[in-house]
Amino acid sequence: MIEYIQSGRVKIDKSKHPQLTTAHDPCNYTRKSQMAMGKSYSDEIRWITKQLVDNFVDMYPTGMNNYCCGAGGGAWAMPYDKERIFYGRVKAKQIQETGAELVVAPCHNCRDQILKGLTKEYQLGIETMYLWELLAESIIIEPWSDEEIEAARAARDAQFERDGVVLEEMEEEE
Amino acid sequence: MPEPLRINKKDRKLAVDAKMADVCFTCGTCAGGCPVTGVDGFDPRKAIRMAALGLDDELINSRFPWICTLCGRCENQCPMGVNLMKTFRKARTLRDRDKVPGPIHKGTMMNLQRGNNLGIPRDDFLMLLAEVGEELAQEECPGFYVPVDKKGANVITTINSKEPFGEPEDMKFWWKIFYAVKEDWTVSSTNWEGVNWGLFSGDDPAWKEQVGRVLENARRLECKTLLLPE
Repeated sequence: MIEYIQSGRVKIDKSKHPQLTTAHDPCNYTRKSQMAMGKSYSDEIRWITKQLVDNFVDMYPTGMNNYCCGAGGGAWAMPYDKERIFYGRVKAKQIQETGAELVVAPCHNCRDQILKGLTKEYQLGIETMYLWELLAESIIIEPWSDEEIEAARAARDAQFERDGVVLEEMEEEE
Repeated sequence: MPEPLRINKKDRKLAVDAKMADVCFTCGTCAGGCPVTGVDGFDPRKAIRMAALGLDDELINSRFPWICTLCGRCENQCPMGVNLMKTFRKARTLRDRDKVPGPIHKGTMMNLQRGNNLGIPRDDFLMLLAEVGEELAQEECPGFYVPVDKKGANVITTINSKEPFGEPEDMKFWWKIFYAVKEDWTVSSTNWEGVNWGLFSGDDPAWKEQVGRVLENARRLECKTLLLPE
C-alpha cells in the first residue's frame, strides 16, 4: 500500500473521510513482528492512514504498548465470548478517549472484534474500517481504456473456459 | 492430604527453557498490564509461577492460556525476558487436541484436508470469485476479473476464508486497489487460505504445513510478491 501511494499509482481523495480518525495497532503487526522479525509496523499503519485522512488522532498507549483488541490468538472464534468482551473493555476505553468517529483496524480479527463486538457492547458509536478498506474507499477510480478492458475480458474468458466457470449472465447472452 | 509435588526438571512439560519461569522476579509487570488479570483467578504472573512450581497440568487444563490472546504485551515488557507468551502458547500445544476450545482445531483439520478452514469446495470458490468479480466490473471497475492461477503474476494473495464464506463483498476492497493500480496479480485455485489456525490452536505441524502451502503456491505460480492481507 505504501508503494502504491508513494509512487502515485493511486489517486487519493482525502475529502471522502473528513471525520476524526484513529488507528489500532494489531499485535501481529507490532509486538509479534518486532519479536519475530525485529520490526514493528506501527509507523507504517499511521503513515498510510495519514495519507488517507487529514484528521488523525492517536490512542494511548500506541505501538509496542498498545492494547490487544481482545480477540487475538483465535479468541474471536473461541467459546469465551464474555471473557473476550471483558478483555476488550480496555480497547473500547482507549478508542472512546480519542473522540474519533472512525477507527482503522489493519487486521481481520481486530476489525471483527471492534466492529461486531466492542462497538455494540460499549456503545462506541464509531465506524470501523480495515486499513485496505479505507484505501479502497479513498481512491479515485479511473476506468481502464477500451483496449485494456478488451484484453482483460479475453483473458477472463480463457480462464473461465479452462476452469469450467459459466456465469449466469453470460448464459443468458448466448 | 494431597501428595506433595516433586519437581523434576526432566518431567516438566512447560519450563523447558531456563529463561521461562525460573528467572521471574515476580514484579507483577505482566499481571498489572494484562486486561484479563483476575479472570478465573488467573493472571500471567500466577500462570508463570505455576509453570515454575511444576503445576504444568493445572495450567494446561485451565482456560487461561486460551482466554489470554497471546498479544505479547507481558513478554515485551518483562524486565527479565521471561518468555510468557511462548509459554502460554506452549500450554496450548500441550492440550489434548479433542479438548481445544471452539472450532479452531476442527478448522485446522478441515484446512489440512480441503485447503481452507471452512471447507469451501474449489468449484464454489471459483464461481464466487467470478460472480463477485463481475459485480465489481459492472459497478465501478469495467474490465475487472479475478485472475486465478496466473503464472508469473507480480503479486499472489491469500484470502481469509470468512470472506468467501460470509462476507464476499469485502473481497472487493483489495480488488479495487488492484484495479486502480493495474496490478498484475493472482489467487491460487487451491490452498488459498490466508488464516493459520494451527498457530492459535497450538498445532505446530499444521502451522508449518499451512505456511508451506502458501509458499508453495507462490513458487508454483512463479509470483514475485506474496500478499497476506490479514
